[in-house]
Amino acid sequence: MEFICNVKAAMRRELRILRNRPVYLLASIGVMAFCIVFFYTLLKEGLPQDLPIGVVDNDNSSLSRNIVRQIDATQLGGTVMFGSYRQAREAMQTGRISSFCVIPHGLYSDVLSGRQPELVFYVNSLYMVGGALAYKDLLTMGNMVSGGIKLELLRGKGMNDAAIMGQIQPILVDAHQIGNPAVSYNVYLTNMLIPGILEMIVILVTVYALGSELKYGTSRHMLEKAGGSMSAAMAGKLLPYTVLFTAIGIVCELFLYHWAGFPLKGSIWNMFIAIFLLVIACEALGFFIVGLLPVLRLSLSIAALFSVLALSLTGFTFPVEALPACIRGLAAVFPLRHYYLIYVQESIFGSGFAGWYPQMIYLLLFLALPPLAYGRLRRAYINLNFPRN
Amino acid sequence: MQWARDWYGTFTGELKRIFTDSGVLIIFLLAGLGYPLLYGIVYHNGTLDDMPVAVVDNSGSSASREFTRALDATRELSVVRSCADMAEARQCMQKRQVHGIVMIPADFDSRLARMEQAAVSTYADMSSFLYYKNMTMGVNNVMLGKMSEIQAGRLAVAGHAGEEIRMMCSPLRYTSEIPYNRNFSYTIFFLSAVLLIVVQQTMFYGVSMLSGTMREEGRCLSGMPGERTGRGISRTVLGRGAAYWVLYMGIGIYIASIVPAIAGLPQNTGFGNIMVLLLFYVTACTFFSLAFSTIVRHRETVFVLFLFMSPVCLFLTGFAWPASNFPGFWRLFSYIFPSTFAVRAFIDMNTAGADIAMAGRHMTALGIQIIVYYLLSCLSAYDENLSGRAFWRALCHRNPRLNSRHYETTDFDAGSDISRVHRVSPEERNPTGTYRQVEERYGRLPGQEGTGA
Repeated sequence: MEFICNVKAAMRRELRILRNRPVYLLASIGVMAFCIVFFYTLLKEGLPQDLPIGVVDNDNSSLSRNIVRQIDATQLGGTVMFGSYRQAREAMQTGRISSFCVIPHGLYSDVLSGRQPELVFYVNSLYMVGGALAYKDLLTMGNMVSGGIKLELLRGKGMNDAAIMGQIQPILVDAHQIGNPAVSYNVYLTNMLIPGILEMIVILVTVYALGSELKYGTSRHMLEKAGGSMSAAMAGKLLPYTVLFTAIGIVCELFLYHWAGFPLKGSIWNMFIAIFLLVIACEALGFFIVGLLPVLRLSLSIAALFSVLALSLTGFTFPVEALPACIRGLAAVFPLRHYYLIYVQESIFGSGFAGWYPQMIYLLLFLALPPLAYGRLRRAYINLNFPRN
Repeated sequence: MQWARDWYGTFTGELKRIFTDSGVLIIFLLAGLGYPLLYGIVYHNGTLDDMPVAVVDNSGSSASREFTRALDATRELSVVRSCADMAEARQCMQKRQVHGIVMIPADFDSRLARMEQAAVSTYADMSSFLYYKNMTMGVNNVMLGKMSEIQAGRLAVAGHAGEEIRMMCSPLRYTSEIPYNRNFSYTIFFLSAVLLIVVQQTMFYGVSMLSGTMREEGRCLSGMPGERTGRGISRTVLGRGAAYWVLYMGIGIYIASIVPAIAGLPQNTGFGNIMVLLLFYVTACTFFSLAFSTIVRHRETVFVLFLFMSPVCLFLTGFAWPASNFPGFWRLFSYIFPSTFAVRAFIDMNTAGADIAMAGRHMTALGIQIIVYYLLSCLSAYDENLSGRAFWRALCHRNPRLNSRHYETTDFDAGSDISRVHRVSPEERNPTGTYRQVEERYGRLPGQEGTGA
């Protein structure tokens, strides 16, 4: 009973700090709101529309103009005409266009006389999304133009249309995209970037909240409030943050799967559980970092370096199995990696608890970290024997 | 003469502060020097090869087996599972043993034999776009290869021969040139963008930490001696800036020219061009950091408040989502950051081999930023020194919570000071200034014996 009273007292003190120092709410609610708006609106198109694709038309025949119109008519591309190869290359080198197509001299007459003229596509794959999409678009277009000419040729030979289709495209690929049928970059990136930012914030704010007691020398005041009990002080301190971050996390999930309408095969309740587990695992990590290094400026620098790496090592951009063997295991120390695996199971495959319970256990294992640093942090709080500045 | 002496004093003073501050050194050296290398190691492989896929062969014919073998032979895919039905294949994918499924329908062979269109269904795991890309490219390459084979065979059956078949198969040929990053390597793509981001972000965090420290210690931002109040703005801003500039030209050369060599990035431009870019970029970053560090009130809050800007700045360079498709507002927003222009210039010059004249518009933009941020940092220094100081003093006098200096004097036993930090109401305040319960349990602090009750 006394313990609960102590926790309550410590919690009241923490809530007062939260109210008086705007940095906490700004860093959590403000940053999350900005990031949600930023990533969602930046990637709103899902797939880039009307990417500028350069065309160097050396032929200027009805056929070449037809090709240009076809590139223009695709959803992905919009054409930009260039007078020479050199101009187009320079535009590509300066990133104004991510690809261009060179139509050779005498294209039309070469096609008519069967000399097999050649279209050349140049793609700048340094801007990956634009490059890859423009590349795909140009290949489709080349295939279509070539098919159109074949159609005319075979009709001239007296073949019927059904046979011609079998001739032009003997094998069709019927592609399905599991979990993201529209191939939207918004679904792909925002789904993981938002929890990634949340992970960053939870670790940093936890470290900051625990560490500033040391920096400002107020840890004894905190312990006094909690009746001298370290465990009550910590419970009271971390409880408001856990509630705050979980609420933010739930709002994020609601935003992603409810308001933005991203595909979710499984249940949103399971995603709530996942984000809650992510929050407490990150808090545990933050506690561990500050316990190991009870100097606010050092622990915050370390926490920042650590949490910013998570986005790279989670595996949603570059798969973990393709990382060098020595780095691969490192991915497991980031809670975001486990959240990602839960997200894949729940949101993409809808496999439910049976699919992701191992990841849940891994995330819960992070809770074993605070006890390791608990004694050290307690001594630091009592003795205040670490440099403050 | 006096100007130069003051300048030199500020410059050396700032350098001394940098090198005596372990938190800043962690950021400048560990992050600035270590992270680019770490990214080089993490993304060493660049491409995902032989992605495991499952094949559901309902046709079981020689044609479908040949198709499967061709899939396995591609660089992108490796057929690791042959599943009896879709349910089994789906289970493999859900267990993440495979990242794609190719389903060959039962009528695949008979349709081909009847000279009709045969269809192949693919199912790609969209949890990472590299899976999708590998799946699409692998299957399409195999399909195109098989198609021309089949087409030639069918034309031969129809009584055509030799040259005629070739002409009818592809009346119009097309080839693609992917000059700068042939295999769509993730290493080249990601490293080219992230390297220069590290310069700007680490510098901003470091400068803000030092500015925050100075504020907490009650010194004014520009560290200007009192008697020169308001008159030595340019020398203090330039003096402080020079310290970071010198340090970061070194780090910049390391990041923009040594790390790419170690990581095996293409280097298609001369060292001179990189130097010109760094000259503009590091200068812009310095003034950018000095100008924006004014909003950092406390030393540590910069990470808590601004760490999320690192991924945001990375996206604003347009390295992933194309800049041509930015919504108007975010395009304007991206112009705030020097990294937007520098990263684009770096990608264009270092990787795509553009010459310095072609990167001219990025350099111009950086030049404009240098001027604007120089003026802004002078303005903020002026504000803090002259009008700002008087204003600040008046404000702090009235509201002790705003005065950052009080943290220094805050001690655990000075109950009144704690009440200021955390606004403890008088009845909650410990009247004796000691913490009875804590002391009963844990004893007094060393050096505090003899005080209190």
